[in-house]
Amino acid sequence: MAKGESPLKQFEIQPIVDINFLGFDISFTNSALWMTITTAFILIFFTVPFLKAKKTNSVSDLYPTRMQVAAELGYNFINNLLADTVGKEGKKYFPLVFTLFMFILFGNLFGMIPYSFTFTSHIIVTLALAMGVFIFVTVLGFIKHGVKFFSFFVIPGLPVYMLPLLIPIEIISYLSRPISLSVRLFANMLAGHTLLKVFAGFVSALGFFGILPLVFIIALTGLEILIAFLQAYVFAILTCLYINDALHLH
Amino acid sequence: MPQLEQVEFFISQLFWLGVFFVILFTVLTYITLPKIRAFLNQRDDFVKSHISKQDELIKKAESIIENYEAKLSEAKNQASQIINDAKDKALKESENLIKATEEKIQHEIKQTEERVAKEKDTAISELNDQLKDSATNFLSKVTNIEKGNINL
Repeated sequence: MAKGESPLKQFEIQPIVDINFLGFDISFTNSALWMTITTAFILIFFTVPFLKAKKTNSVSDLYPTRMQVAAELGYNFINNLLADTVGKEGKKYFPLVFTLFMFILFGNLFGMIPYSFTFTSHIIVTLALAMGVFIFVTVLGFIKHGVKFFSFFVIPGLPVYMLPLLIPIEIISYLSRPISLSVRLFANMLAGHTLLKVFAGFVSALGFFGILPLVFIIALTGLEILIAFLQAYVFAILTCLYINDALHLH
Repeated sequence: MPQLEQVEFFISQLFWLGVFFVILFTVLTYITLPKIRAFLNQRDDFVKSHISKQDELIKKAESIIENYEAKLSEAKNQASQIINDAKDKALKESENLIKATEEKIQHEIKQTEERVAKEKDTAISELNDQLKDSATNFLSKVTNIEKGNINL
């Protein structure tokens, strides 16, 4: 990083190919590039090991390849997550949760590569994902329960005189879901990457003693990789919980 | 902060996010995930069928062991019966032999005793006769009475 460069510069969008469609600027940017890489990687990572996997005919076929184990790990992780939070009915929503989790997870992880771009560090991207989940869950609730879905905002077993106070609170908390969901992911990515860049600046500024912030950066990188996983997990598990709420109300 | 300043790229970001998310979701839903599920299902089926096959084999082995043990105990019983029979037979035979021998010995003892008694009798009567003779001789010599007239 050049001296005096803002630690926020890493979040700048840089168009690679200028595209204008019906007056809209849909340029292919560095953000879109890393979305491409993430999508391609996920598809290769999960599809290729199972293209070659042959049918299990004997006990010796039971040993999967390393890539297959890794892909199965991801598959079973989301499968168990859905089974634990939603139950059997959750199977239908498996592809959605799987796509969300993997897209965010590998978006975060690829963002840890130096000179790459973290598309999940942009509020517009996370907000779009969260709004997608929010709209999907709300529509799902209305399809499953019709008008009865509004009973979701009434906490059962509460005295009637408390309702005028609590129903607005419940509605506000419901409407703030996409905001908390998107800001959580965006802020974590933003803060982590900014912190790394700030300390990276210290390394060059302190000369020999730059070794101290360097050690700190190494530790912080480990923490950031954990957060990359954790935030994808939080996003996926909250999506599961929202789906569960929509299916079962209370 | 570029996130809030570069508003001109919002539509571009949303567009490409939509494109890639839809591509990823569609391919995963219709190709990748069914492939993984089918593979895992057939492997589970294989494992399950293997487990049931194993249970069958274990049952078979158990029945074989049972059969073997039954046969073994039967053979043991037979063997001990044969041994007992043989013992009984040997015991009886030896007893018979002892009895027969004892009877034979008893018989011989009896015969010997009888012979001895007879010999004793003849010896005594012979002795008597000799004594009579010598007494007659002696008396005839002392009394000068003829032998024929002496009657003891």
